[in-house]
Parts: sequence; C-alpha cells; structure tokens
Amino acid sequence: MPSRAERITDILLAILAGLVFIVLYAPLLISTLFSIVEVKRGQIQWETATLVWYGRLWENQSILDAIRSTLAVGVISVTLAAVLAVILALYVEWEGAIGRRLIELVVYLPFLLPPIVTGLALLVFFSGLGLDRNLLTVTIGHTIFVLAVLYRLVLTRLQTLPKSLVEASADLGASRWQTLRHVLWPHLRSAIATGAILAFTLSFDETLITVFLAGDQMTLPLRLWAMMRVGFTAEINALVTIVLVISIGLTILVGMRLQSDEVREE
Amino acid sequence: MGLSLDAVSKSYGAQQVLAPTTLQVADGEFMTILGPSGSGKTTILRLVGGFTRPTSGRIGFGDADITGMPAHQRPFNTVFQDYALFPHMTVAANIGYGLMVRRQTKPAIAAKVGQTAEIVGLGGLLDRFPSQLSGGQKQRVALARAIVCEPKLILLDEPLAALDAELRRQMQFFLKSLQRQIATTFLFVTHDQEEAITMSDRIVVMSAGRIEQVGTPKDIYYAPRTQFVAGFFGDNNLIPGHVTGNGMVTTALGTMPIPAETDRRERDVMLAIRPEKVLLGAAGSGSHQVSCRIDDVTFIGAITQLRLRPAAAPDQVLTVKLTSDRTRLGLESGTVVSASLAPGDIALVEVS
Repeated sequence: MPSRAERITDILLAILAGLVFIVLYAPLLISTLFSIVEVKRGQIQWETATLVWYGRLWENQSILDAIRSTLAVGVISVTLAAVLAVILALYVEWEGAIGRRLIELVVYLPFLLPPIVTGLALLVFFSGLGLDRNLLTVTIGHTIFVLAVLYRLVLTRLQTLPKSLVEASADLGASRWQTLRHVLWPHLRSAIATGAILAFTLSFDETLITVFLAGDQMTLPLRLWAMMRVGFTAEINALVTIVLVISIGLTILVGMRLQSDEVREE
Repeated sequence: MGLSLDAVSKSYGAQQVLAPTTLQVADGEFMTILGPSGSGKTTILRLVGGFTRPTSGRIGFGDADITGMPAHQRPFNTVFQDYALFPHMTVAANIGYGLMVRRQTKPAIAAKVGQTAEIVGLGGLLDRFPSQLSGGQKQRVALARAIVCEPKLILLDEPLAALDAELRRQMQFFLKSLQRQIATTFLFVTHDQEEAITMSDRIVVMSAGRIEQVGTPKDIYYAPRTQFVAGFFGDNNLIPGHVTGNGMVTTALGTMPIPAETDRRERDVMLAIRPEKVLLGAAGSGSHQVSCRIDDVTFIGAITQLRLRPAAAPDQVLTVKLTSDRTRLGLESGTVVSASLAPGDIALVEVS
C-alpha cells in the first residue's frame, strides 16, 4: 500500500500535470471554440454555434490555392529529402566513407540553426544565384530543412542492420542493386515512412524559412499569417483548427509508429 | 588447382592481423582453420570470401587470380557465424535467395529449394520465418542457403559455436557427411580443437596472425611442431629437454633417444607426449622407464586420469590417461609406479 505522503505526492503531481496541459492546450481549444461560436461583448453566444466557417474556407480560392501549394511543397520536398537521406546514410555507413563528420554537420545544421538564420541564408544564396523566389525555392528550402529528420531516422535504422546480412547477400551472388532492393529496402522502408510523415508535418507548418523564400506565393501558414493581419475572424480560427488537427494527427501517427518499431526490436 | 593463398597478408593501419601466409586447399578437401580469437583465422575466411581485400599477396582459385574479385562474383558461399538469415524472408525465400538473384524461374527455384531443404532436414519448415526457428534449424537454413547454388567452395565461420554440446556433436557428423555427399571443398573456421580433429581432412593451426602448423588431425595431435600447437591440443605433457647431438635428448627424467627422422642438431627443445601414451608397468623394449609416485587419481568415466611426480624431478608433473577399469588395483595416491615413454610416441617441439 502506498503511504499517505506518497498518495499526496501523486495527487499533487497529477494536478500539476493537469495545469500544464491546460496552459498548453487551452489556447488551442479556444481557437477551435471560436471557429464554431461567436463572441459579442465578452459573452459567448452559444446559440450562434455553426460550422459555416469551415464551409466558407472551401469557397475561398486563395486558401484552396495555399493548401495546394503547401501539399505540393510538402510532398516534393519530403520525397527529395528521403532519397537524399537514404543515399547519405548509405554513404556514411559505408566503411570507406570519408568526411563523415562534415556530412553530418551539413545535414543537421539547417535544422538546428534558428529558422530565421537558415531562411535568410537561403534567401541570400538564391538572390546571389539570381533565382526568382517562388514555390521552387520554397521546396528546396524545405528539402534542406527536413533532410536532418529523415537522415537521422534512416541512419539509425541502417545501423541496426547486421553487416553480415549485406555480406550474406553479396556472398550469395547479389549485386549492390539487388542487395539494396531485397535486403536494405525492406529493412529501411518503415523508417523512411515514419521519417516522411514527420518531415511532412514539419514542412506543413513551416513558416519562417518559407517567408523568406516564397516571393509572392502563399503556403497555408503564410495565408493564415496574412489573414491575421487584417483581423481575427472565425474563418481564421477554423483554418487554425484544421492545421492543428492535421499536425496533431500526423504527430500521433509518427509516435505510434516509432513505438511499434521499438516493440518489434525488443 | 583448388584454392591457393600466396603470401597473403592483411593489416589495418599499422596493425598486422595476418602475416604473409601461404596455403593450399585441394579440391574436395575439408580444411579447418583452428586458432584462438585474434589468431587471424576469420581474417583468412573473409579474404577468401571477398569481404575484405588483402594488403599484399595473391589469392588464386583454379587457374584464376581472384584477389580483386568482388564477393558476389566468387563461386563460394559462406555460412556465417550468426547465420545472417534475412529476417523478412521465409525459410524458402532465404534458401532460394542465391537462385533468385541469378534470375532463375520460380518453378526451378521452388524445386531446387525443396530438394535442398530435404538434404539438410528442413522439409515442412519452408513457410516459417527465421524468428520462428530454433538455433539448430537456423543453422540448417544457413547451410541450405550456402549449398543451394552448388558453390565450388563453402566457407564456414564457427557455425557450431552457438549450439549446445549435444546438437553440436550431431551437426559435426552431419556436416562431415554432407561434405562427402556434395563433394565440395569446405573451409571451416573454429576455435574448438575437438571439432577440428573430428571433422577435418587437414587442419591449419593459427596463432597471432601466423600459421603454426598444417597437417592431418593425427599429425597435429601426435606430432605438434611448435609449443603453441602442443599446448593448444589439450593436456600434452611438455618436458623441457636438450638434444645433445648424438641422437639423444637429456631431460630431468633422464636421457633417452630422440624419435627417428627428427632433426639431430644440438638445441633446446620440448618433449611432448600425450597422456594416453604414457604407459604404466611393463614396458615395451626400447622404452624409457621413469619411476614416479602417484599424486592424484581422478575417475572421469571412460578414462581415469592420474597425476604422476617423477622421483628424479618432483617439480615435473606427468599426466596419464588410462582406460577405466573397475578392478584395476594399486592405483592410489602415494603408490610408486614405473611409467614408460616409447620414443615413437614422443614429439620434439621446437622452442622459439
């Protein structure tokens, strides 16, 4: 039986954890709430509860465009980053690799630096090259930004692969491509999928780097930003809620996949 | 013909793990590389398999120089120490992997896999995954996978190390009979001398990156040429001696003739004699007699082991192994017996 003091400690900890959760999530709930009801003179007008603002979003062409851009940037940059991550991880794990530390630094740095620095650096780089800023530059920026996440997950998974499996494959007559396809890929694919979801979540929400690189193009976070400057409307709250639900959903998915990987490895 | 290593060496940076080594393995031979860990035995296997490149020297197979040939082009297959079964493939897919990457047809692969599974005794397990198999079964899958492509040479890297004693004995006989059945050269790496003696046509004993001795199991067992080999094969009696030049060797146990056909140069040597070759009581003609006191008697089942202290050299211990006998009398601690050493049973071991 836990003693009285232990029980009190448990209760206090539970209360504290509850408070932290409320502080963290209450603003999010308020956004969601305000996307459904109206507030007049500090009073919630429950009778005005409606989902009409969500419907309005689908009639707003600029928002639909922003969603399309965000998805396109996310899918393309995650795909590029995944390919790059696999190539880099394979190279770094290869026994003859040189410049391992440099590669890791180059991969991790854009992710670890403040986004404002990464964004500004990319902006200077692109304008130096004379490249117009548009969704292409945004895609390149996002690729560089999310590469670290994919690389880390792929590398970690690759390191759990016994070297003897690769040797066994070669020993049995498989070329490097055949080994990649029949041994490495089945081992890596779930890590790549997890990394891709996580990277997509990051790309989906990414704002600061995007601000520097987007030119006159709009992704969803930029559209939201622009709308907020005009004023806080129920439409904005509806959009925030959608972004939130998608982000949280993807994050939970990643968490579940990482957990099930751990279970499998045990 | 066969496999040849010609002054092959391997270094990692400044550290030499294999001194220049020359070795021939004949076609169809069961050759064992025996040595403690760090002796370079696995390095030889990895060099032959093509998993690492030699720092110097040449590896040949048949008439071809295969020194620089990548692993996947060599007509050899390996049974790895950890089996290295592909965890995401069934037993059938594991066994058929070598055929699959050679783009054979599905029916041809299935037929060959079924046939090979029967040979190694895996029929009925083809749909399982490696995680559902016992250690012995994994071992058989690894074997089947290595023989299915009919390689010219099979490399085995301590394949029995992870099995329990009983299973290991079974697998030793099985491997030996399999080798005869498929008439393929086996290059077998182990640190277990009993395993090496039971299975091999010839044994290469290695220590510290060098070959100590190459020979048949009987050569190695009865006529160790170096102190390391004599010591590695269990409980050899080692007695320091000095060859005097006239065909005699002086030891603390007296002076005796050296075995015929050995080097008669004057030098320090070690005499090695197997415990079961030390005879008690009535001696054959020409044997050297040593008067000893029995120090200790241990009954080990089929054999009884005695420790003797020669009267002339109380510091020297002679270990004797006798076939056990319920009614043998007089073998008790403290009894004085006469031990005899026949010149033909003594090996001269060079002192380095």
